[in-house]
Amino acid sequence: MALLEKVDKLGKAISWHGNIPVESRYTAGIAGERFFREIKDNARFLGTRCPNCDLTYMPPMMYCERCFTRLEEWVEVASTGTVHTYTVLHVDLDGTPLAEPEIIAFVKLDGSDGGLVHRLGQVSSEEVEIGMRVEAIFKAKGEREGSILDIEYFKPRRL
Amino acid sequence: MTAKIKEFPGTPLAESDFEEGNVLFTRWTPRAEYAWDAGVAIGRYLAELKEGRIIGVRCRHCRRTVVPPRTVCEWCFKPMSEWVYLQDTGTVNTFSLCYVTWNMVRIKEPQIPAVIEIDGASPGVGILHLLSEVDPKEVKIGMRVKAVWKPAGEREGAITDIKYFKPL
Repeated sequence: MALLEKVDKLGKAISWHGNIPVESRYTAGIAGERFFREIKDNARFLGTRCPNCDLTYMPPMMYCERCFTRLEEWVEVASTGTVHTYTVLHVDLDGTPLAEPEIIAFVKLDGSDGGLVHRLGQVSSEEVEIGMRVEAIFKAKGEREGSILDIEYFKPRRL
Repeated sequence: MTAKIKEFPGTPLAESDFEEGNVLFTRWTPRAEYAWDAGVAIGRYLAELKEGRIIGVRCRHCRRTVVPPRTVCEWCFKPMSEWVYLQDTGTVNTFSLCYVTWNMVRIKEPQIPAVIEIDGASPGVGILHLLSEVDPKEVKIGMRVKAVWKPAGEREGAITDIKYFKPL
């Protein structure tokens, strides 16, 4: 009775193996392009301002998400900020234990109403705390390629 | 709608924009590997091909033997009742002379796909395969043919374990 037969050994099950070739390219969009271009060329952060809502978007947006105004005013945002929240990672994306734990934080950038999620460096997981002052460390100009990884990490600002 | 809109919004990008670095982008190649399970009936069929045998399945209610095997009879919708080993010989039911390959390359010597009614299966029941070792002009409906198998070591449980059918 063919219908009632079950595959009892895995080797008996015949399957076809294949691979669908897919490659995608993702562009950052108009505002994102300008944001990353500025990081690449000048190691600076740019945000957009909504004059109606008195908000500075970081990362920059093309439209205000409150009043839907098209945002035309670009302002420089400091590369310093405050740790808004953080987490300590002990495993990588595959679940493999990391030799050194990594600290990922949401850094609220000074002079903006937003911030960036990035690594913290030059600080141990015992030392890091919410409200800590940090600043961005950029890669050297020649190594920057217009990506969020052009920032190596945020390090504590010791005064 | 298109009559009203003269200019579509958006940012058109050409391949050259990516090549010349006019636009920043990230590349991503997802792993899209898959394994497709052949199922109970076709799984057994392919496993038997690897052994150098053609297997069919019989419906006792309809008194019909079919190949390739299936789990349910499409005539009476009852489960197929028994496995039957078939001959590796058969009769050409229909055929075609094909002067273009699957990827649209012209060829001088035609490929000859044919439906072959396998001996042991009910009349009109057969599988699609290729004919070879035959002059294209000599191929006829009703011609008796026999499977040419790959050597046992090279068989992998695929329909290509039969290289082609040749005239008996």
